[in-house]
Amino acid sequence: MSVALSRCLCRALSRQTAPLLSGEHHHAVQSPWFAPVMTLKTSAPLRAEPKKKKKVDPRREQLLRDRLKKKLKRLEKVPPEYIPIEDFIHSIFIILLQRERSIPSLSFEEKEGRALLLKEWSHYKREQHMAEVKAIELALEAQREALEELKLESEELYQAALKPDPLLFPFSHEGPVNTPPKTQYDAPDGKYNDITRVYTQ
Amino acid sequence: MAAPFRRMASRPLLQFLSCFSRTATGNTGFRQFSSTSLCRATLPTDRVTERASSPWTLMAAVCLQRLPVISADDSPIEQQFRQLMQQMELEKSLLSDHEIRLLEDAERLSRKQSNSYDSDEEEDSRNQDIVLTQDLEDSWEQKLKSFEPAQRVRADVDKDLTSVERCLADSLVLLAEQQVGSEKLWLLPHIQWQEGETLRQTAERALASLPAAGFKATFLSNAPCGVYKYKLPKAARTESSVGTKVFFFKAILSDSGPPAAPDSSFVWLKKSELQQYLKPAYMTKVGRFILDL
Repeated sequence: MSVALSRCLCRALSRQTAPLLSGEHHHAVQSPWFAPVMTLKTSAPLRAEPKKKKKVDPRREQLLRDRLKKKLKRLEKVPPEYIPIEDFIHSIFIILLQRERSIPSLSFEEKEGRALLLKEWSHYKREQHMAEVKAIELALEAQREALEELKLESEELYQAALKPDPLLFPFSHEGPVNTPPKTQYDAPDGKYNDITRVYTQ
Repeated sequence: MAAPFRRMASRPLLQFLSCFSRTATGNTGFRQFSSTSLCRATLPTDRVTERASSPWTLMAAVCLQRLPVISADDSPIEQQFRQLMQQMELEKSLLSDHEIRLLEDAERLSRKQSNSYDSDEEEDSRNQDIVLTQDLEDSWEQKLKSFEPAQRVRADVDKDLTSVERCLADSLVLLAEQQVGSEKLWLLPHIQWQEGETLRQTAERALASLPAAGFKATFLSNAPCGVYKYKLPKAARTESSVGTKVFFFKAILSDSGPPAAPDSSFVWLKKSELQQYLKPAYMTKVGRFILDL
């Protein structure tokens, strides 16, 4: 059934194209642009080598490029030099120059005097330390007493006193200096040439 | 002042007696401020106190300290030791580059001045004649001398008790003259506690309420550092107020503000001078937490 149908279709098509063919043989010579359908596959431009736009080629080219890049990287890969640590480089003069100080030797009395002074000093320092420890203990005792009294007074105040103070830290205080600060003193700007060596890897 | 002396002598005896008495607050016969901490420790603490029914009025006081600004002078032994240490360190040390340069320069000078000097024998006579190390030292010395440091000790400021700048080498405590009961006394600035605030806030209020004071202080903790209790004289005692407990809070001065007028009622004192201004019982309590280190 389908075969008969296809045969009928073919005949119909051929009947239609026959007058076209006959009529256009003249035309085919005169204008190559209007090519009949049947000659599509056989006309000149279309008989040339087809452009193979297949997916394999771009992939292959990219693979080639990657391989080249890898080779380049391996060639260029040199381990970076270590940055020298300035502190570990000694100057030769430390060894070369003679640096002994010439001092007269001490007499026996001098040595005795020194030993005695050292003993006195250790005694003095010990006294100082014991006084400090005692003072701190007294202060702690006073605080403990205060907290006991407060507890007897009111529990809520006691609890409030026990809470740590979050705003206290960071706490900083400038320690004692040799001479008191001068009011309205304009300190001169220190000029310096920065000769630190900066290394880049 | 014979009567108080007698009472002070009899205080230990009375305390001993009162330890055996079972009354909690019945210590009689003390007209002055007295500390009863000794016998309180041995009394049975069986009284359950609610705040409403406690007979003690609460007060908070602030112990404001100005820490030392300059280092203290050395005592004689410290001076001797310092010199000894410097000498010993000098002996044990090696020559520095600067000192070697000094020696070399001196040597070269002596060689130049000697008759058998031949300038061709000099190894490298590039720049050594231009700047001698000794000249460098002299120029540094000159620069140091041109700077005038402020004086460490100024006797006139030290005598002014109301100035914060006195005695820069010691730590000072602020004392204010305040009305207590019927008399004006010198003590640490205090103020009465009010409902709804913590004791530390009361102490901050006490500091702020001082007349003509622009002090900025850092309070060190929420907990008090000391307490002082005193009972009112027997005549003034009522059901609800037997005495007062004063809680002390420590603070460090951070900014003294504008200088106060000379007639203001507060002074800055060292710990050794506190004795003259405070009552003895008060002093024993307060002296414990004021560190003079």
